[in-house]
Amino acid sequence: MSSSKGSLRGYIITRLILVIPMVFILLTLVFLLMRVAPGNPILAALGGHLSPAQLAVRERIGGYDKSLIVQYGEYLKQVVTGHLGTTLTDHRPLTQVIAQNGAATLELTVAAMFVALIVGVPLGMLAGRRRDSWLDTGARVFGIVIYAAPVFFLGLLAQLLFGHILNWLPTSSESGVLVQANLTPHTNILIIDAMIDGQWGDIPDLLAHLVLPAATLGLVISGVILRLVRVNVIQTMKGDYIEAARARGLKERSVVVRHAFRNALVPIVTVTGLQAALLLSGAVLTEETFNWPGIGSELIFYLEARDYIAVQGIITVFALAVVAISLLIDLINAWIDPRVRY
Amino acid sequence: MATTLLPDEFESGVASRTGSGEGRLRGLHRAFAPLIAVRGLPRWLFWTGATITLFFVVLAVFAPEIAPYGFNQYIAHGIRFPQQASPSGAHWLGTTVVSEDVYSRVIFGARTSIEVVVLALMFSVVIGVPLGLVSGYFGGWLDRLLVLINDSIFAFPYLLLAIVIAFLLSTSVGGGVLTAAIAITVVYIPQYFRVVRNTVLSVREEPYVEAGRALGAKPRTVIRRYVFANVVHSVPVVASLNAADAILTLAGLSFLGIGMDPSVAAEWGYDISRGVSDAQAGFWWTGLFPGLAVILLVTGLTLVGEGINDTFNPLLRRPNHRRFAMPKDVREVTTVAVETEHAVVRVRDLRVWYATDRGPVRAVDGVSFEIQERETLGLVGESGSGKSTLGRGIMGLLPVGAIRDGSVDFEGRDLVKATPQEMRRLRGPSIGLVFQEPMTRLDPLMRISDHFAEALHTHEPDISDAEIRRRSLEALGGVRIPPTRFRNYPYEFSGGMRQRIMIALALVLKPRFVIADEPTTALDVLVEAQILSIIADLKNNFDTALLLITHNLGIVAESCDRVAVMYAGRIVEQGAVVDIFSRPEHPYTQELMRSTISLSTRKLHYIPGAPPDLVAPPSGCRFHPRCPYAMEVCRAKEPVGVEVRPSHLAECWLHGPENEIPPDGRRPLEREEIGIADEA
Ligand SMILES: Nc1ncnc2c1ncn2[C@@H]1O[C@H](COP(=O)(O)OP(=O)(O)O)[C@@H](O)[C@H]1O
Ligand code: SF4
Ligand SMILES: [Mg+2]
Repeated sequence: MSSSKGSLRGYIITRLILVIPMVFILLTLVFLLMRVAPGNPILAALGGHLSPAQLAVRERIGGYDKSLIVQYGEYLKQVVTGHLGTTLTDHRPLTQVIAQNGAATLELTVAAMFVALIVGVPLGMLAGRRRDSWLDTGARVFGIVIYAAPVFFLGLLAQLLFGHILNWLPTSSESGVLVQANLTPHTNILIIDAMIDGQWGDIPDLLAHLVLPAATLGLVISGVILRLVRVNVIQTMKGDYIEAARARGLKERSVVVRHAFRNALVPIVTVTGLQAALLLSGAVLTEETFNWPGIGSELIFYLEARDYIAVQGIITVFALAVVAISLLIDLINAWIDPRVRY
Repeated sequence: MATTLLPDEFESGVASRTGSGEGRLRGLHRAFAPLIAVRGLPRWLFWTGATITLFFVVLAVFAPEIAPYGFNQYIAHGIRFPQQASPSGAHWLGTTVVSEDVYSRVIFGARTSIEVVVLALMFSVVIGVPLGLVSGYFGGWLDRLLVLINDSIFAFPYLLLAIVIAFLLSTSVGGGVLTAAIAITVVYIPQYFRVVRNTVLSVREEPYVEAGRALGAKPRTVIRRYVFANVVHSVPVVASLNAADAILTLAGLSFLGIGMDPSVAAEWGYDISRGVSDAQAGFWWTGLFPGLAVILLVTGLTLVGEGINDTFNPLLRRPNHRRFAMPKDVREVTTVAVETEHAVVRVRDLRVWYATDRGPVRAVDGVSFEIQERETLGLVGESGSGKSTLGRGIMGLLPVGAIRDGSVDFEGRDLVKATPQEMRRLRGPSIGLVFQEPMTRLDPLMRISDHFAEALHTHEPDISDAEIRRRSLEALGGVRIPPTRFRNYPYEFSGGMRQRIMIALALVLKPRFVIADEPTTALDVLVEAQILSIIADLKNNFDTALLLITHNLGIVAESCDRVAVMYAGRIVEQGAVVDIFSRPEHPYTQELMRSTISLSTRKLHYIPGAPPDLVAPPSGCRFHPRCPYAMEVCRAKEPVGVEVRPSHLAECWLHGPENEIPPDGRRPLEREEIGIADEA
């Protein structure tokens, strides 16, 4: 029986090694997906704009004249070295696209997750505790209906109400024009950049822009979180150790919070991790709805421009984000539950 | 939005029943019969969902008949529709920027959505189910590879996948229903794959499949039936939830302008995207109605899935308790106890009935007994006779709907009348409970030290950390757990050690009365001896009174002073261990003793007949259907407690009282009547 600290480190190392096959498979999927495209990317993006000779040069630079297997090798090399190339249409280095627009997406998703947890966890716990009460039924119906709402439709309603009718909040973009011009990029997350430079006056504007997109996306996800928390609290409340805790005369509050909820947390965190796909997908739609300059709206932009290099780069980033999130989730679980490390 | 909404426990919760050998249709009918029978919320969920879904299916099928105009029609009878007209008699839901009728577009949108979803579901079932079967059946590297690919696709943001595929397809073959369906299919294959594969895997390990294989039966036949029985419940749940997701994904794609060509069909997501710009100019109706349609249909489909899941998932299924009150006439019958001098607890006429959908279960039905300081009372009886219920009834640890009656006198107060708050304060410091199953009784996420700190803190809020440590280590020392293990987690201990920890955890609060519910049943014989010697020490070191529940008479002989024998919710005999072991007076006790003569098994042997159903227990003496001495009176009247010797009570007509037995009462019961009663 080794000390728990030692085995936690051991667990992290094992888990990191396990990441490799997953990354590999995801990258292979991305590559195959992009190469299923008929014709070649250069022609798709730039055909009609350049002469055939120019196109041939660009094809050679892009490596599209080589065999698929060589291209695959080069793609993997690009990802490993972090040189994802330059967009075909507007010559932006993909690393720059990722740093700038990725930061906006990160800001949006973190804020949305925050909203989702704040709304979903307490409601789910209440519903689970008072099973079959009107509160439970209400919470369940809320969870189902809010999840049934397309995020862009909720966004539309929010824009109508808070933007146009009440005129309380901005409905578009990440910041006011002046604020944007004022900030020096450090992290590209505007709120943090403003803090770094002590430009506190800009923060209200930045927060105001964040509210509607984050609340919209967060509410949709809160539906899932609520259901998850509810089901798992109901499950853990049936646990033998819950009855044992009651037999020791613990207060109902500690029984629910310290024992039932904490034990429910492991499956909740795991499944919340699986909802990363939901979160990132929702982010793409939210960004489109609110003109949020995230990596999702860039994806749509480059897709419409048929800039496959850019699309491939962005999809790759999403794939890596998924792996990173699943890793993070497992580490959180190992931290909560000693048995995971063991 | 996609990705599964399945509750986490869904797969493990899928009912594991074998399919019938009858025709598929009858099998199907039987499989879903519970949906018709189910009551309460699941029924409500399912039927609301089914109605909404059906409504949209009707809209979809009869769209051309129902809709007043075509989805992109902007002119009728040579007159062009007004542009962006608000809802009116002519255009119920208004018109769009290009003069289309919003009402007609919403109806045709239903058609598009249903078409895409039906196609996508068909594709994903046709591809996902066989892949899952192959993967689960053959196993090996193929399985591992498929699972890895599957998990990767599943983890990937589904919308991105759908976007890219839809985009690539629409540049080559053009946008439309088929393109959208294929793009969505890829997203859902993994879910069918998973459910089917896991079902096949679990059935491969079922004992009867292995047994069948050994007997030369084709495992494939067994697997086919079993898989059918499971998949028949899980696929509809997955399918209806997927359909809900698919509609959202389709709307998302169209919102982004990908996959569906707007000139080919009406699509809600596309209309909402136009609604966004309209809304800013004040034309709220173009986006609102398609949006509401999406919400309604997706809600309907989700409700169907939830309803099926609530009905069939044994983990979510909730019994439909009928509330009840204890009848007055029952309460008037009184039972007697062997009286003691320094009683810590005096239980009188205690009844604990559970609420179930069949009516009240009379698990404990009028028992009286007392336990003194430093005394151990053994409580024995077949499993199901109500021993645990008795222990929990004293503690007030009962499920919702259970009712208690009678009195439990403890330190001058009646625990049956105590408020929940008072009971909570007594649990731990006054009355301790040790459970049968030690493996699952400690919170797996908490260190042993935290269990102790929590218990001590709750009941002695001012206690210092040093004192907590001192007292905990002292209690643990008493059960021979070394201090070095204090900060370990439960998973680091064996079952026997955990039970010792549970005992220490009960003793650290120094209760005057401890209930130990089969504390050694789950443990092996060596550990059992250890635990019993610890329990024996306990009453010598503290002035504790102990109720030791067991079905092992050997333990009673070793560790108890007195014993109470329980049968079907009653204490049928109680007295000193020596007395009862040498001269058992109740026929049930005699059967028990006879069956335990052989010490090698140390377990109760089988007494002919089955333990009675406690919802409708036999009339008169509850043992009469199985009793070799049963008489007429035994069936007619409940026996009363009779002091057969000093401090030795038995509830049996063989011991009188004579004056209560009717004239013909001693006639033996007829054999076939015993048989009938036995069956009931
Ligand atoms: N929560 C419950 N709801 C309904 N019936 C129950 C419940 N718990 C136990 N029972 C029933 O009560 C009877 C006594 O059970 P129990 O007290 O566990 O017996 P024992 O401990 O002697 O095995 C059994 O018939 C059992 O099926
Ligand atoms: S009362 Fe009658 S049936 Fe019951 S144990 Fe005694 S003899 Fe048997
Ligand atoms: Mg029991």
